[in-house]
Amino acid sequence: MLDELKKKAREILKAGDAQGVLGLKRGLFDVIHPHVFTAAEELDSLVTEPKWPLAKTARAILRDRPGDFRLAVAARGCDERAVVELIKRNQIDRERILILGYTCGSEQAKACLCSRPWPEKRVAGDIVEGIDPLADDRVRPYLEGDDRARMERWAEQLRRCIKCYGCRNACPICICVPCKLEDDLWVERGAVPVEMVPFHLIRAFHLSDTCVACGACQEACPAGIPLMTLQLSMREALRKEYNYEAGLEPERTSPILSDFNREPRPGQALPDWIHTMDRKT
Amino acid sequence: MSTDFVRTICPYCGTGCGIILRVEDGRAAATYPDRENPVNRGTLCVKGWFAHEFVHHPDRLTAPLLRKGDSFEEISWDEAIGIAAERLRETAAKFGPDSIGGLASAKCTNEENYLFQKLIRAAFKTNNVDHCARLCHAATTVAMVDTMGSGAMTNSISDLAGAGCILFVGSNAAESHPVLMGEVYRAVDAGAKIIVIDPRETPVARNADRHLRIRPGTDIPLVAGMMRHIVDIGLHRTDFIAKRTENVDELTAFLHEWSVERSAKETGIEAAVIREVAETYARSENAAIVYCMGITQHICGTANIHALCDLAMLCGHVGKPFSGIYPLRGQNNVQGACDMGALPGVYPGYQSVADPAVREKFEKAWKTELPSAPGLTVTELIGAAGSSVRALYIMAENPAVSDPDVNHVMASLQRLDFLVVQDIFLTETARFAHLVLPGACFAEKTGTYTNTERRFQLLHRALEPPGGAKGDFDILCLLGRSFGLDFDYASPGDVMAECARLVPAYGGISFERLEKTGLQWPCPDSTHPGTRFLHEGRFTRGLGRFVVPRYVTPAETPDAEYPFYLNTGRVFSHYHTGTMTRRSPFLIREIEKAYAEINPDDAVALGVGEGGGIRITTRRGSIVTTARITKRVDKGSIFAPFHFTEARANALTNPVLDPASKTPEYKVCAAKLEKVPDEAG
Repeated sequence: MLDELKKKAREILKAGDAQGVLGLKRGLFDVIHPHVFTAAEELDSLVTEPKWPLAKTARAILRDRPGDFRLAVAARGCDERAVVELIKRNQIDRERILILGYTCGSEQAKACLCSRPWPEKRVAGDIVEGIDPLADDRVRPYLEGDDRARMERWAEQLRRCIKCYGCRNACPICICVPCKLEDDLWVERGAVPVEMVPFHLIRAFHLSDTCVACGACQEACPAGIPLMTLQLSMREALRKEYNYEAGLEPERTSPILSDFNREPRPGQALPDWIHTMDRKT
Repeated sequence: MSTDFVRTICPYCGTGCGIILRVEDGRAAATYPDRENPVNRGTLCVKGWFAHEFVHHPDRLTAPLLRKGDSFEEISWDEAIGIAAERLRETAAKFGPDSIGGLASAKCTNEENYLFQKLIRAAFKTNNVDHCARLCHAATTVAMVDTMGSGAMTNSISDLAGAGCILFVGSNAAESHPVLMGEVYRAVDAGAKIIVIDPRETPVARNADRHLRIRPGTDIPLVAGMMRHIVDIGLHRTDFIAKRTENVDELTAFLHEWSVERSAKETGIEAAVIREVAETYARSENAAIVYCMGITQHICGTANIHALCDLAMLCGHVGKPFSGIYPLRGQNNVQGACDMGALPGVYPGYQSVADPAVREKFEKAWKTELPSAPGLTVTELIGAAGSSVRALYIMAENPAVSDPDVNHVMASLQRLDFLVVQDIFLTETARFAHLVLPGACFAEKTGTYTNTERRFQLLHRALEPPGGAKGDFDILCLLGRSFGLDFDYASPGDVMAECARLVPAYGGISFERLEKTGLQWPCPDSTHPGTRFLHEGRFTRGLGRFVVPRYVTPAETPDAEYPFYLNTGRVFSHYHTGTMTRRSPFLIREIEKAYAEINPDDAVALGVGEGGGIRITTRRGSIVTTARITKRVDKGSIFAPFHFTEARANALTNPVLDPASKTPEYKVCAAKLEKVPDEAG
């Protein structure tokens, strides 16, 4: 798989389709770190492990470079979906980015609770089936029980927050300017731990229709809070009610934005998913 | 144009997280957590995420500065090195070797600290070299050497995840060492019990199973009560005590004086709770003790740590994985600065200056005669400034904000004949200097830091120092050569190689071996994998020694005139004297102004509202700050972070010292609290 990826990356650099390839490099002493490859020969040291979400870094590099700089990104399925969401929000110019998609193995998919461990624009790797995150033992405890039990479970986790902003910083799509977490109206400055509702739930709502479930938030959390789990129910609801999944359809607007004029009115039933975090059986 | 990702180590606390700087055309554009670093594995705290923000600050020093009256004048490096060498040499000639002193830096690399102590010892023939470890964990070094033979954290950070019980004593790790809390929560999720001993309701305490809000300074009564109960009901590990330790009889005799009821009375904690936490700790298969400044910075700091070591040995919770004693080192390289011999009594590797064989080894290696008498400590050097000590060389320390009773410190600094300060900003201390040397920050140097778990880790230079600033390594080499020393090192790696030859425990350390994951000392040879935990099968000193912890009440307790307890410490978004964090816009946004925490009842009694002006006064001095009203502090207590130069908590603190370690009692003194009328208009 890696050879196919390197081959395609070399072609892109040689043809001048991009001036750099963002990916992981195995450097001296086998140390692995992100890198912008600019020469075809250098790509021998391109690797794909470990998982290292790079969509937000790609956005940052493109913003720091002149408009004629084009960047290719070695991307897993979740990286690709994040790039698509960033393009939809005018955060990345689609003319300046190329996706070099590769698939994830089943072990990685399980570790990530990933239902779609492959990119749409795939240049390397075979597709393996994803898993159903809502059926997973790591997620079930946060879906089961009544409101109060679930609230307590979450409170116990979110109380561990050290206010590092890592979830926001690592999330590829968490890019509002100004950020609501830096708004005195919602979040008290200088206070640790943060208040659960304004800090964590504002973030969850902001990302409700854009979260691509890459897991960067919880992987960046020093306290180990299962932050991605906060998003999974909403992702499931959008999939079920609207056949919509963030990052899949570049041309389609989120139903949350497009369906305001079809909000439920008196006498009209609310979708069943709003009553529970869990899927209805 | 180019984009580079440079792997290096966070410059803030002693956790030692790996970071990756994104460098765009010579400017640090962003900081990312290093997913491959074994310490933080892809996570960071807020200070780490914004570690690049101060690097290009316009306040960075870019040329050597020479005092001319009340102002400074930029001079060349040739002039600066010439003046430093001449003035220091003159002073030593006139007043003798011990009139010179040096403060090394827990912010600088191992190699720089090695060179610094070598310079002071070899050029001036004095052991007057120390650094701020004196102010934090000197009590640890003394007490853990007494009891176990090594002053370092016994286990690894990752071991915490496997503990069945974690006892926090005077550590607010969630704000001061945030990233290692991840391991604590992994333990909690696996069923571990968390017990917190702290007068304040810290974020750690809020996540604990038990929070013991003891009366300030009563740690020994509490631990004594716990040990007494453990012995009373036979939970102590007799086999471990018999095989691995000595002097237990003296301890048990001491415990006879400490009934659980007496302990309860002294600490303000219910006897039943003391019994419960003692049993939780003793019964766990593996149990860890995590502690920090809340217990070392007391007049009986060394005895406090004796008590914790006794507790661990009594229960056999040391010398095995997932257990042990975890002194959390405060600065990125305070462990390393100690390891490198930036201490008045020891050469690198804790080898005593008084031992003739050791001294001979260093004399031979350094090709010079060396003094045998131990030098002065930080607090003694400052105290003697202007009398027996005439010139000081301070590398990247800021005692004018960080030391106790700073008004006294500033007066002392002004009495010096010659003060040279090497730093990246014109700090409050540098303002008193005759000569200021502009150094480099973490992003601009190659070298190593040693984190709190004894792990040597490699820094990679990502940037050039700004303007005419130089790397501290280069400055030290220039100075060394100007004194005729063999400071002809081609790179910091050569310094580490010299150190590895002279210190058996670091014999296997080399830059090449550190690239991927670092190495934890002891690491005696080039194939040794490093040491995850100490004292396996045998304590470093042979048998573990029970030392009776002598309880001394705080030097100052509240009275009619000064009715409040004053406690000082850190907050999550700032670091020490604020030279770096208070030049980082994101961190400033989080906490901008000086404040102190006071209890709601006291606020009502005083008529002060949230954010209102207050004056805190002690027998040393007085500051005006703002009130943050919170139940995190008990009624009758004040907590003042020490980061704020405009309201220096250390203008208030008591410079009384723990006699064994010379650590000041930062954590308790008596204070008066007054309302300050709001400013007109």
